[in-house]
Amino acid sequence: MLKAENLSVIYPGSDKPALSNVDLSFEQGEFVCVLGQSGAGKSTLIRCMNGLQKATEGEMFWDGSPLSKIDDKQLRTVRKETGMIFQHFNLVPRLSVFQNVLTGLFGSRNNFRNAFGLFSDEEKEMARQVIGNVGLENEIGRRVENLSGGQKQRVGIARALLQQPKVFLGDEPVASLDPGTAAHIFNLLQEIHFSHNLLTIINVHDVNLAKHYATRVLALKEGKVIFDGKPEEFTDEYYHLTYNSAQKKQQFSVVSKR
Amino acid sequence: MAWFKKRSLLTFTVLILLVYASMRLTEFDLSKFKDFRNMIDFLSGWFPVDWSLLPDMLRDSLDTLAMAFLGSFLGLLIALPISFIAARNTSPYRSLFHFMRVALSFIRSIPEIVFGLVLLTALGLGPFPAVLAIMFHNIGVLGKLISELIEAADEGPQEAMKAVGAKNWFAFLFSVLPQIWPNVLSHYFYRFEVAIRTSLILGFIGGGGIGQRLFNDFKTFNYSSVSLDVLLIMLMVIAVDFYGSYVRSKVI
Repeated sequence: MLKAENLSVIYPGSDKPALSNVDLSFEQGEFVCVLGQSGAGKSTLIRCMNGLQKATEGEMFWDGSPLSKIDDKQLRTVRKETGMIFQHFNLVPRLSVFQNVLTGLFGSRNNFRNAFGLFSDEEKEMARQVIGNVGLENEIGRRVENLSGGQKQRVGIARALLQQPKVFLGDEPVASLDPGTAAHIFNLLQEIHFSHNLLTIINVHDVNLAKHYATRVLALKEGKVIFDGKPEEFTDEYYHLTYNSAQKKQQFSVVSKR
Repeated sequence: MAWFKKRSLLTFTVLILLVYASMRLTEFDLSKFKDFRNMIDFLSGWFPVDWSLLPDMLRDSLDTLAMAFLGSFLGLLIALPISFIAARNTSPYRSLFHFMRVALSFIRSIPEIVFGLVLLTALGLGPFPAVLAIMFHNIGVLGKLISELIEAADEGPQEAMKAVGAKNWFAFLFSVLPQIWPNVLSHYFYRFEVAIRTSLILGFIGGGGIGQRLFNDFKTFNYSSVSLDVLLIMLMVIAVDFYGSYVRSKVI
């Protein structure tokens, strides 16, 4: 379904690659959690998967289409079939839950109808249904900025669900939520994952969440994949490899600057 | 002196010198107020207020209000799409962005009265050239202000709109407009209020409205009417200000 071939990303103005020569492939039905420190390349990897980030070298294939070579229209089709949720939810402010969820249809309709909010009864019914699926039926008319963090992420999930995606991406979707809410969100994601037979790929900081929910765990460090396997194989040894040593170095560099 | 560095001392000295130089240049001299009585005499001529011309004045005030509203509103309509081209993050091409910014500051640098005087030669006396003068200036001002709002808008929703597969320009429009709308309105109402004062000045050069009446009343020493003109102008400005805050509070 998704395949990275020798994928490298170097941000302009930086000499260190955010991703370097990554080879990965993902199949429908996998629930993948990507671990790694801040700056390890997790977000970059996820954002390459729907073309929000362009590869500097190598290629990301989405169901066979090379994302750096296809035209804008094809890229939009890929994005339409890829639901994505974000750390800061990225909802459109001052719009209601219902209106925000309806924006999930923007990829599949013409912009005139989008701009004037002309949605068919069927589309509206679908939106109500996904809002019900994420448990927000009682908040449907509320402005999104008045919701709690967990509720906002549910709106994000509903918006992505309305796209009827094949691939579901999460860029640190629970990093700004408390542990209890994070677990609720993961439960919901898991339920959606299995009921829709998706390929779900999510960045997460919390190793326990990853090990509990994922069917496959990836660990990145300095832009390279250092672990790729079953959650139970991600041992303490790998944990230290992923997080510790670099963290110590970072702390030291902060102290030495003073 | 924990809050001050040596540099701020220097800034302070330069500031004092600037104030002094400006006072010399503008002949700023409080002792001139010894002729204070002249002003009292002059102002006492304003009273009692002559109410007889009130209906005509109201009619002229309405002209002024219409001028200011139409000029600033057309300015907003034209500035809104332009500001997306003049914002760094939404402009389709870098070169177009720079061109638009320069073009906007060029328009802004021309005072309304110059626009008015030039248009007067083609369109003749009356409110129409005044409306256009206000419109042109406001395209420059609102275009700059709104493009800065666009640049400061949160990028997250734009990213989300791209991720659902919307076209880039539509993603920008749809995610940015709701964010900046209350601030666009408050800028607009402020410019509307300024446009009322501007249309007074344009009245002095024949743009019509209460401004022209004020000017004529002054020139003909009709001070008891001047006071009513000024009162109406004040009421108009305050009313627009209040209405603006009301609309904005409804929108937020």
